[in-house]
Amino acid sequence: MKDKIRKLLEDALPLVDFDAPFLFSELDSLGVTTILMILADEFQVTMEATDATPRNFKNIDSLQSLVSRKLREREKQEEVKSPTNP
Amino acid sequence: MNCLEDYIRLHAAKQPEKVALICNDDRLTYADLNKSVDARVANLRNQGYSPGKVVCLRAEASAAFLVTYFALHRIGCIPAPLEQDMPQHVFEAVEAGLHRHSCPEGTADVLYTTGTTGRSKGVMISTDTIIANAENLIEGQGFTPELAFVINGPLNHIGSLSKVYPNILLGATIIIVDGLKNLDRFFDAFELLDTKYATFLVPASIRLLLQFSQKRIASLADKIDFIETGAAAIAENDMQALCRLLPHSRLYNTYASTETGIIATHNWNNGNCTSGCLGKPMPNSQVFITDDGLIACKGRTLMTGYIGDPEQTNSILRNRTIYTADLGSIDSNGCLHLKGREDDIINVGGFKVSPTEVEEAALSYPAVRDCICTSTPHAITGQALKLIVVLHEGEILDKRALALHLRKKLETYKVPMIYQTADKIQRTFNGKINRKYYRQEANGHTQ
Repeated sequence: MKDKIRKLLEDALPLVDFDAPFLFSELDSLGVTTILMILADEFQVTMEATDATPRNFKNIDSLQSLVSRKLREREKQEEVKSPTNP
Repeated sequence: MNCLEDYIRLHAAKQPEKVALICNDDRLTYADLNKSVDARVANLRNQGYSPGKVVCLRAEASAAFLVTYFALHRIGCIPAPLEQDMPQHVFEAVEAGLHRHSCPEGTADVLYTTGTTGRSKGVMISTDTIIANAENLIEGQGFTPELAFVINGPLNHIGSLSKVYPNILLGATIIIVDGLKNLDRFFDAFELLDTKYATFLVPASIRLLLQFSQKRIASLADKIDFIETGAAAIAENDMQALCRLLPHSRLYNTYASTETGIIATHNWNNGNCTSGCLGKPMPNSQVFITDDGLIACKGRTLMTGYIGDPEQTNSILRNRTIYTADLGSIDSNGCLHLKGREDDIINVGGFKVSPTEVEEAALSYPAVRDCICTSTPHAITGQALKLIVVLHEGEILDKRALALHLRKKLETYKVPMIYQTADKIQRTFNGKINRKYYRQEANGHTQ
């Protein structure tokens, strides 16, 4: 997943150094939004403005963690919607 | 009262404890602001600043920037606020160019705007123009002394800088936020004071907020007095979405430019949610459409001219009228409608970019033999820049290296997001780049 995220983001934001020590400081508002949109589209998860924190946008690893967390949340919601009876 | 700085002094005397300016940890009352401006005046005079001098400064989103801006006016200097991330060599070139020219009596600011030739042009704004713009906004949009206005855009652009004018004139509060990168910080600004709020958002910022923050916008419905947009076309879907989220707020679409000033505005949350409608001219402005279908403006808000460029000035400013490159019409109710632009300028989220300037920078990259800068639809900014390059034989496109090369020569918003290689660039019979071909291609009309 990490390589996929890197490739997608590097392609969309050619000016950004995704190996920078603190990715958030490399981005402007358009960069932050672009990343949220790409991750939401690619992994079919719901992103909110509150997800655009310096902590979540520290580096590619933290973005991967954000996506993993969102995927788990989605799975839980799907389980609640269609509970499987024993 | 002749200028904004007179109003700062007036409010410092009449309502010294009223909050004038909030930015990060700085919170200045009108008394504080007046005192800070006076201190900065003394400091600048000691450094040799004298009336009539044009002074370049980076338009940082800070209280210090506005204090210096007001102090320069109080001395009689002419501030020329520039993009805060402008490459240093470009900043120095602009500064050197400005020092070769002088401004006419009454000039308050020199604001830089994108020219069709690829070179930025310094627009001279008079003190009276600033007051006329303030009066237009107060009358046209209902600014009040109780308002807290959140400025989130670059202070060297008329869209954001012009919001300083009515708020200072009325003794209202200005809150400065550095862009929308940290959306929490932007929304937190609306919690700082117990009063009504307003803000200016370019259509790209509205799209961004609608994409990720609908609940938070809706939670501010009772606090937001009005929102203004402008600088680019806003989609009707986004206008309707904002009406649903903020049913009681006034939502304005404004026609303005650095050259014309603030001309017309339309509240689309008042039963007429029509894309492209920019309302009736404000009190200090008049508008008409030329025989070629272009918008022309008259009134006190017009620029004095381009600094050091009488030829360019005469090309658009004649008989106290500015002839724009915007195509428009006026309906039977007297409302102005914008239909597009006649020139090659590309509008990226409210920032106007001359493709020629980008192409000149790209051609200085060793691997690039030929290129064209064009646009492509973008989900947030409406349009994004696309650079199509023809490479020298044996070269491979290194997108990031080319982007970084361009960044050294241009402001960030002028660096294309999309890169593509081609075997050749389409040209017209006389060798000029066939921009029409690429515009049609972007719209899916080429065969």
